[in-house]
Amino acid sequence: MLTDFLQLTVAGLSQGSVYALLAVGLIAVYTVRHVINIAQGEFAMLAGLGSAWLVAAGMPLLLGVLVAILTVTLVAIAMERLIIARVKKLTPLTSIILTLGVSTLLQAIMLLAWGPEAKGVPLFPGTNVLIGGVSIRSQEFWMIGALVIVGGGIVLFYEKSRWGKALRACAEQPVAARIVGISPVTASILAFAIAGFVGGVAGVVASPIYLSLWSGGVLLGLKGFVAAVLGGFVSFRAAIVGALLLGMIEAYVAGYVSSGLRDGAAFLILILVLVVRPQGLVLKPTAVRV
Amino acid sequence: MKKSRLRFIAPIAVVTALALAGCSTSNLGGTADADPAAEAGPIKIGAVLDVTGVGASLGVPEQNTLTMLAKQLNADGGIDGRDVELTIIDNQSTEDGAAKATSKLIESDQVDLIIGASRTGPSLAMRPIAEAAKIPMISVAANVAIVEGSEWVFKTAQNDVVVLERILDDAEAKGYTKLALVRDATGFGEGVAEYITELGAERGITLVMTEAFEPSATDFTPQMTNVRGSDADAVIIWGINPSAGLAQKAYVQLSVNKPVYHSHGISNQAFFDAAGEAANGVVAPMGRLLVADQLAADNSQREVIEQFKADYNEAYGEQPSGFAGHAFDAWHIAVNAIEAAGTDAAALRDELEQAEFTGVSGVFAMTPENHSGLDASALILAEAEDGRWNLLKD
Repeated sequence: MLTDFLQLTVAGLSQGSVYALLAVGLIAVYTVRHVINIAQGEFAMLAGLGSAWLVAAGMPLLLGVLVAILTVTLVAIAMERLIIARVKKLTPLTSIILTLGVSTLLQAIMLLAWGPEAKGVPLFPGTNVLIGGVSIRSQEFWMIGALVIVGGGIVLFYEKSRWGKALRACAEQPVAARIVGISPVTASILAFAIAGFVGGVAGVVASPIYLSLWSGGVLLGLKGFVAAVLGGFVSFRAAIVGALLLGMIEAYVAGYVSSGLRDGAAFLILILVLVVRPQGLVLKPTAVRV
Repeated sequence: MKKSRLRFIAPIAVVTALALAGCSTSNLGGTADADPAAEAGPIKIGAVLDVTGVGASLGVPEQNTLTMLAKQLNADGGIDGRDVELTIIDNQSTEDGAAKATSKLIESDQVDLIIGASRTGPSLAMRPIAEAAKIPMISVAANVAIVEGSEWVFKTAQNDVVVLERILDDAEAKGYTKLALVRDATGFGEGVAEYITELGAERGITLVMTEAFEPSATDFTPQMTNVRGSDADAVIIWGINPSAGLAQKAYVQLSVNKPVYHSHGISNQAFFDAAGEAANGVVAPMGRLLVADQLAADNSQREVIEQFKADYNEAYGEQPSGFAGHAFDAWHIAVNAIEAAGTDAAALRDELEQAEFTGVSGVFAMTPENHSGLDASALILAEAEDGRWNLLKD
């Protein structure tokens, strides 16, 4: 009984790690540009399919994965430069329409380039571990580890580094930030680069066990969106906690209730949060609202 | 500020994303000629396949096969000097997409016969439309419900019941008495648990647990955790790829450690792509296509299979899957019947009801009562080893 519960928890945490990375990307962009990036899930699929293709073409796993993540980061920067930066009056609604367009475009490119079938990156090195009847797959360590290192790194970056503080300044006091010499252009590029990078990482670590599919980014992005809403779209920490909770709830629903209700759980949570507690899991009401 | 802004945006974002999820459109099929059907004009065959979406690993090779065969036939002069015009529509692996495509083929393209769909759910959605319009339809999916009691609908994939008989016979021989089932939650998996209970009773086998998964699922920990906790002697995983392959991978990684059977829904390369090394040791009933090189030299299907494999490999640079074989059989049964009976719908239907054909999926013998035409002899038992199938029992 307990073994089953822990097993489901492990699955939920690893799945939740992927949601958390996507939520981090969504919040990074939203805080700086007030853009809700519908294409965030496509970043993950692009990295997964891209690295699967590179590895199949003979590139070593690590190199293929890195090339794919960097390419997706460049795609995100290109998206910012070519599309988002060119809009004179960017409202959240136009941002949704624009990024929806990018999302559809990326899907079409992936479908044409790699076909309609799901593809996976080979398993990363490592061994499966069995602790007291609970088996933890090697790839799950990679997924949770990616969140700890990349997600944690970005939280630290925002809170400790000069650049990160500058990004927060842009979000909190855009006018004052400009007065003290922080370039909003650089901040915006950096925010999209972060979004592309974490999306890419999420895509490649998940690909070996969940596979990547041209159309798979929508649902994945939506789960990241639910997690971001749990973080009130401002707090990385709350969103990460929310994402892990979401992953676990999905696993419990699938294990104890019915696997068909799994995706429904996420949307039910989304509706409840928006109606009852729009600030999400953020505890301090004084938290920065941007 | 702007708490209210998030409140405003969030629902819009959700609605947009949901709408996007529901309507990703892409039609990889050919385009239709609007020319009204005439007795002297081209013969029109329509196909509705799961080219994108969860059934893509089935629909793509089927589309390839039909396109190749249509080209071959027209290069050889068509049927009685009439060209065959093939229109393929992608149903995006959805039931409503299949229904819409069927109506379009019948009403605006005025096809003489319809092939499809790749999976059971979409095929069931097409059945009433073809029946109402009285147009012969040949499905390439498995569930017997597609053809049961139908006047106009036929199918070429082996029935799920005979597949289960094959699995249960093997389970009985090995002394397993308790089975767990992990099945596809859509049409393909419908009724499987009931059949196991019914067919198992004669063999002293009981079904102790049923778990389900969506074909779009990616994580199978919950299902496999429950199976691991059950007292089953062996497990049947019933699905198509990539989901069945991912389920197999989770099954091994979570150390369920019971013998496992799969259905014929995994007879393609996508199974090995998704499951990797976890595929080793899987036993599944399937057609003879994937073990053609191991068949007895005098096997009646050997020649047709090897010719098909060679043609397909030449056209697409890869080996065909079992699903490509279902499409091959549907095409030839259709063309043979049109050659004999012409395009009058009722005559064509009557001809299909007595179709006999030695094909890739088996040796077909249709009757007015049996619109599937295959029995258990169409299946062999194969075991996966290092990315290929070894013939266990013919």
